[in-house]
Amino acid sequence: MLSLRGVRKRYGEREALALERFEAAAGEHWLVLGPSGCGKTTLLHLLAGLLSPSEGEIEVAGERLDRMNGARLDRWRGRTVGLVPQKLHLVPSLTVEQNLLLAPYLAGLAPEPARARALLADLGLAAKARARPAELSHGEQQRAAVARAVMNRPKLLLADEPTSNLDDAACEAALALLQSQANACGATLVVASHDRRAAARFDRQLRLGE
Amino acid sequence: MTLAGLSAAYLRARPLAAALNVVLLALGVATVTVLLLASRQIESRMLRDAEGIDLVVGAKGSPMQLVLSAVFHVDVPAGNIPLEEAKKLAAHRAVKKAIPLALGDSFRGFRIVGTTHDYAAHYGARLAAGRLWEAPMQAVLGAEVARATGVAPGARILGAHGIGAQDTEHLHDESPYVVVGVLEPTGTVLDRLVLTAVESVWEVHGTGGEPEDYQEITALLVRYATPLAAATLPREVNANPALQAASPAYESARLFRMIGAGVEVLRAFGVVLILAAGLSVFIALTQALEERRYDLAIMRMLGAGRGRLFALLVLEGFLLAAGGVVLGLALGHAATEALGMLLQARQQGRLTGLLWLPEELWIVAGALAVGLAAALAPALRAMRTEVAHALAEG
Repeated sequence: MLSLRGVRKRYGEREALALERFEAAAGEHWLVLGPSGCGKTTLLHLLAGLLSPSEGEIEVAGERLDRMNGARLDRWRGRTVGLVPQKLHLVPSLTVEQNLLLAPYLAGLAPEPARARALLADLGLAAKARARPAELSHGEQQRAAVARAVMNRPKLLLADEPTSNLDDAACEAALALLQSQANACGATLVVASHDRRAAARFDRQLRLGE
Repeated sequence: MTLAGLSAAYLRARPLAAALNVVLLALGVATVTVLLLASRQIESRMLRDAEGIDLVVGAKGSPMQLVLSAVFHVDVPAGNIPLEEAKKLAAHRAVKKAIPLALGDSFRGFRIVGTTHDYAAHYGARLAAGRLWEAPMQAVLGAEVARATGVAPGARILGAHGIGAQDTEHLHDESPYVVVGVLEPTGTVLDRLVLTAVESVWEVHGTGGEPEDYQEITALLVRYATPLAAATLPREVNANPALQAASPAYESARLFRMIGAGVEVLRAFGVVLILAAGLSVFIALTQALEERRYDLAIMRMLGAGRGRLFALLVLEGFLLAAGGVVLGLALGHAATEALGMLLQARQQGRLTGLLWLPEELWIVAGALAVGLAAALAPALRAMRTEVAHALAEG
């Protein structure tokens, strides 16, 4: 489902990521561990096709990302990958429900208001559907961002530092939510974190920068 | 969820900035629209009033004054001309038709014009009620005169000496006119005139009993028999020490040129407003772009291509411009209508805001183009958003 070979990402002289080999099968849950600055976010962005590698091969869901670009890559990403960025980045001028509906719209898929409502109800956000992101608590915002990431039933679900600034209970809940949502749409899950509390929930781990 | 809905959501999120841009653009569009509507209407009305009149002959003085007083009835005449000279000229072989005008009095601010039936016929006037005058001291009212004063056929009216404001001290109360008819609206200067026989004017001024050799009229409206007359007749008339000839076409063109400079300045002002609105749209979008880097990055993350982001920003510029255009046209037409009502009493024929000109499409196109151009640079920047960088930096 996912494989990287000899991937390097350089910014000028600085090497942000060097990864000889990483493979994940469909439906697996992976944790990418490592200190900050070790290239975890770069790896996620490479997997999402937001960055292209300086060298090496990246294959995700049967597509060679290092050979795709432009509008085709954008379209593929919108339909195949769901990303929960560290800072969540819900669109502030839209309601929570509109934020969810943005995903199929921008990916060029049919609008699915019923799915958006079901997901919001599932994640306990039904009452907040028409609220603006700024009116939500941090936990609610995170759930909304996860809902948006899985709106299009992605094959690959990525989350960047989902547990930062969370207490133990919230940390557990956030990871459980990601895993259950990944399972619900049969997606491969890759979570990047420097949080050792996360390690307990993942059998498969990739250590960077060690 | 559509791109336009998304653009609108962003505009709603910054209502003050959006409103400022729309209002600024609307003021510019309104200014240009008012100028277009007003100058077009005044020009076409003047052309209609002067239509078919090749030459005006009156007393020596400024030719502009002669045309203004005898054709458009907005200025006072410089003086009178001997009836005998006028008759000689009317019989000239280069003259196809000559209509005499005798001015001097007014009725509640509307001019009383001593003339012949030809004058009414010249503007294609038809009677709305009653009949045309058949004897001295019978008067026919233009449509606007009848509407404004409420006078109907059968009534007696008094002329006041002088053209312009009503002055009760100079009422000719010993010689009232009998209103015998009212004309239908013609859309010309005729609507604001009271027509009567030339003899009435002589009678009111106490010269009625004298022989015709001593009588005077104010002006003669002349239609040439042949185009060649334009080359010879004015010179011939001007050689006569009592007469002066003026061409309505030439004098109106001169007048337009003089007013034109002022109109140009105002129009430039309107254009500057529109451009300032464009600049303001540019600044607003550029500033918003800074706040929206993450949104734009997230949109790319969700599958939007660079073209989508470009379109999103351009659409915002377009929506602002469209709002400004709609509001501006409405304002412009309303202002012209209000101006028309305000000037109604003083102007012959009133301005209307209900007229829509095809040239307004140019204003619409111009304002939209400014909006789009203002959005172009921010849109290009939005297109180049570094997605991974923005998302990572958060």
